[in-house]
Amino acid sequence: MSARKAEEATRPNQRPELAALDDETVARALTRMHLIRKFEEAAEASYMRGLIHGTMHLSIGQEASAVGTTLPLEAHDYILSTHRGHGHCIARGAEPKLMFAEFFGKETGYCKGRGGSMHIADVEGGNLGANGIVGGGLPIAVGVGMSIKAQKNGRVCMVFFGDGASNEGAFHEALNMASIWKLPVVFVCENNKYGMSMDIGRAMAVANVADRASAYGMPGHSLDGNDLAGVSAVAKEAVARARSGGGPSLIECKTYRWRGHSKSDRNLYRSKEEIEEWRAQDPIRRLEDELKAHDRFDAAALMKLEEDAQREIDSAVEFARACPDPDPKDLTRDVYAL
Amino acid sequence: MPSDTLEAVSEIRELSYAEAVREALGQAMEADERVFLFGEDVGVYGGAFGVSGDLVHRFGTERVIDTPISELGIAGAAVGAAITGMRPVLEIQFSDFVTLAMEQLVNQAAKIRFMFGGKASVPMVVRLPGGSGTGAAAQHSQSLEAWFAHVPGLKVLQPSTPHDAKGMLLAAIDDPNPVLIFEHKLLYKTKGHVPAEAYRVPIGQAAIRREGTDVTIVGSSIMARKAEAAAERLAADGISAEVIDLRSIRPIDFTTIAESVRKTHRLLVVYEGVKTMGIGAEISAMIAESEVFDFLDAPIIRLGGADSPIPYNPVLEKAAVPQEDDIVTAAANLVRRGEA
Amino acid sequence: MPVEVILPKVDMDMETGTIEAWHVKEGDLVRQGDTIFEIGTNKAVMEVEAPATGAIRNITAETGVPISVGTPVAWIYLDGEAATTPSEPAAAAATVAAATPLPQAPIAHAAAMSLATSGLRATPLARRIARQNALDLKSVTGTGPRGRIGEKDVTAALILRSDPQDRVSKDVPGGSGASASILRDAAGAAPQDEGSGKKSCRQSEGRLQPFSAIRRIVASRLSESMRTAPHFYLTSEIEMTAARDLLGRLAKRHERIGAPKPSLTVLIARVAARILRDHPVINASAEGEATRFHARIDIGIAMERDGDLVVPVLRDAGAMDMPAMAREFARLRDGMAKRTLTPVELGGGTFTISNLGMYGVDSFTAIINPPQGAILAVGRTIDKPVGRDGQIVLRPMANFTLSSDHRIVDGVAAARFMADLREALENPEVLL
Repeated sequence: MSARKAEEATRPNQRPELAALDDETVARALTRMHLIRKFEEAAEASYMRGLIHGTMHLSIGQEASAVGTTLPLEAHDYILSTHRGHGHCIARGAEPKLMFAEFFGKETGYCKGRGGSMHIADVEGGNLGANGIVGGGLPIAVGVGMSIKAQKNGRVCMVFFGDGASNEGAFHEALNMASIWKLPVVFVCENNKYGMSMDIGRAMAVANVADRASAYGMPGHSLDGNDLAGVSAVAKEAVARARSGGGPSLIECKTYRWRGHSKSDRNLYRSKEEIEEWRAQDPIRRLEDELKAHDRFDAAALMKLEEDAQREIDSAVEFARACPDPDPKDLTRDVYAL
Repeated sequence: MPSDTLEAVSEIRELSYAEAVREALGQAMEADERVFLFGEDVGVYGGAFGVSGDLVHRFGTERVIDTPISELGIAGAAVGAAITGMRPVLEIQFSDFVTLAMEQLVNQAAKIRFMFGGKASVPMVVRLPGGSGTGAAAQHSQSLEAWFAHVPGLKVLQPSTPHDAKGMLLAAIDDPNPVLIFEHKLLYKTKGHVPAEAYRVPIGQAAIRREGTDVTIVGSSIMARKAEAAAERLAADGISAEVIDLRSIRPIDFTTIAESVRKTHRLLVVYEGVKTMGIGAEISAMIAESEVFDFLDAPIIRLGGADSPIPYNPVLEKAAVPQEDDIVTAAANLVRRGEA
Repeated sequence: MPVEVILPKVDMDMETGTIEAWHVKEGDLVRQGDTIFEIGTNKAVMEVEAPATGAIRNITAETGVPISVGTPVAWIYLDGEAATTPSEPAAAAATVAAATPLPQAPIAHAAAMSLATSGLRATPLARRIARQNALDLKSVTGTGPRGRIGEKDVTAALILRSDPQDRVSKDVPGGSGASASILRDAAGAAPQDEGSGKKSCRQSEGRLQPFSAIRRIVASRLSESMRTAPHFYLTSEIEMTAARDLLGRLAKRHERIGAPKPSLTVLIARVAARILRDHPVINASAEGEATRFHARIDIGIAMERDGDLVVPVLRDAGAMDMPAMAREFARLRDGMAKRTLTPVELGGGTFTISNLGMYGVDSFTAIINPPQGAILAVGRTIDKPVGRDGQIVLRPMANFTLSSDHRIVDGVAAARFMADLREALENPEVLL
């Protein structure tokens, strides 16, 4: 503890959220943000080349939220993700090549090609799965919290959802139950302003999703979701509270998806100006600029992180494309556990 | 001598259906600390139908958990607990309320294993008191089991006796898949022989309750009991009916049905759920598609619930679902006239 | 709409009938009024006419099997009508049993056959058993709803095959084995042993021909007669000189008035009709524990047709003069040959005469035609030496044997009748 304090003190001009992250952690976070960005770009490119069978929901622009919230998690902790979940998987340490294999529907993918983009899971790695149903993961998180409590294993469950899901009954049922039972759950709302095309201002009577936390007697944090250090600092606090038996928290990361809701989105509900405004808030560049300003990384080091990420993604795509398709005779193999 | 006497007492031990379910829950929780029971009013209240009874006093509020009225939430909680190493048993107070939990049961519980390429399993049990006959009217009397039998990934049971209620619940708790058990409310007070030990009744095996040669009557849950009573009366009338208690509608024991129809050449399917698009339609079609089709000597007849919500008025309520008399009449007509 | 052809009720107390012969086959064109089949009741055989003009389709009734009155046995499709399954035969009365031997269709042709029977209502099980046994379902009459053929109809048909051992197939090798047992179960005593020794044994027993409907009727009625009516027999040898002379004179007279030439049988009938008036107990029937004295004298004449015994009736013979009787007799004989007689004309007599004289029979005893009380058996007329006025002379003589039901007729009553018969034949003027 004292060592860390001393280390933070060596970064006296930095805001405490950034100062709290050592170089190794920051580099890891940056690498993951790059991987997410590159993964999404490669996914989009694959789609445009006709290599992808279904649709996808890209999280370009939301990288700081995914990486920042998961940064304080430990290896055995759980996450539950959403349809816009590629970033959460990568942030949690998933291997891009197995993700791409899944994305391409290959037998070698995380889910053997049965789940695809919307259902990537890595149960052993603590990723209990992305979910195609808006709000679908929220009640599940309650059960995971019950498990953790019953098994007294000290873990934490972090569940992601969007602003749209906070209008689902499941959100309210889940927050209520998690709170009355003081479950070790961190609810992370990635508020990207739109539930598909529906502006949050038209869908919700309160200004912030986090305002709803008070109804369930838990802390609510509304924050700049494109600020990795800020997100990470709040998440750290919420995770610690959960792990110590203090109960759940609600974190709202205000962010923005640069791309449409899915590949069929024509962006009729928002303006080019708005998109450009948010692109200027690019969470990766913001972090890089801040690190350069404080002389913690030079441009070359930062460039190398990005290039390494690009290489990993390129080889992941290559790997995945070469993988075998599933055999139709195995169609019903995993419907039931034996 | 004293031990022999005890054994003899045990052999003829009778429990009610509700007591049998409770005994199974208690034994499962004693044997496996991963098992816990939760649902609305299952704690000190003892469950809306008294099934959980005193379990909260035996196992504490950590393992017999009262929940808020949040069917979707608790169904999802069962899923979450199941995929992370627990063996939750969830009670949906009235099976009608499962409509509020459909998302978690159908989209999540049923599909998680498949979607994740077989890398997760969802060992959860949902108990659902259902059925008509209690004057509870349209929103508390439905038989929705066929809905779930339509969903790959779920298992759907309908035990008809105290013996099966206990044995199938224990088998369901052991099962690594989501299992829904529809318990007919009118059966809770019925009594029957229930061995004291923790035994299992295999899922997916029908029981031939009565052997016969003239007509096969297939039913589950309370309809299996009504079919048995009807068969008794038919026998007095010179008609030998074979009664098959399905016990499990997904997976369904088609082999037992097929072998019986191959023998009797006539099939009557009885179920309380709405006749249209129901279990009877599935069984009829399975027979029609199979090689047993060639052994039919009369059309397959379905007796199912009326195309109506369950009414409040007791006369109407009875009229809305098949009764013993209806089974007797339908079976006799099928055998004697080759039609219903 | 196709026109339904039913098995008609042709007699008062008729419940079932048997189709003796089809005069048409599947697809034949018929005109309204054409004879399409012959029906046998428990009294007679009669022809049934086509109710409409068109093509015969879906012949469902085979010959020789009792069928309930009102059962559809075929359909007549009018011009341009597609041969589909007839919708709702009005009278869906049950058939008692069904079917007979059929053209042997090899099982390999099952597919073709199922096409041919696609218009039939039959359960899957019935079709399966029929297919396995090369049975054409068209020959089976369904007893189920709307004429549906069920398993019991098919197994009944298979049992009725004359040589079931040759045709009842075992199940195909490697098959379930269930079908053979089904057939056996359903057929009850369906034979299973197909050993060659047994087969040759069967061949040495000659040909087995099922009874025709009339044969069945005759068999059952005469058996019943012998079982219930205690018979006794009186025989008289009667000189036929006067009767022959009379017949000769009557022949000339009838020729003159345009009446048919009278036969000895007609003369005997005329004489019997006359004297029966004086012997009401001979023109009577036992009815429970009472005697029914008939108001009218209806004389049945036993005849042979195609090997079968039929008895057309001279209705109210007691009221007929000789030409009238000759005419009526000729009409009956003609009608019988042409098969135009109705069951009414073929039943219900009060007394019967059976004359086998033309076949050279000297004398015989006949079995009473129930519920009548007596029958007169007539032998041939032959010149025999007899004593007359102390001389042996040749005279035409014939034996008459009266069989009587002893429940209602005593020996003396019968003897008195025979005495009057002799007197009337030997001295016809007594009838004047």
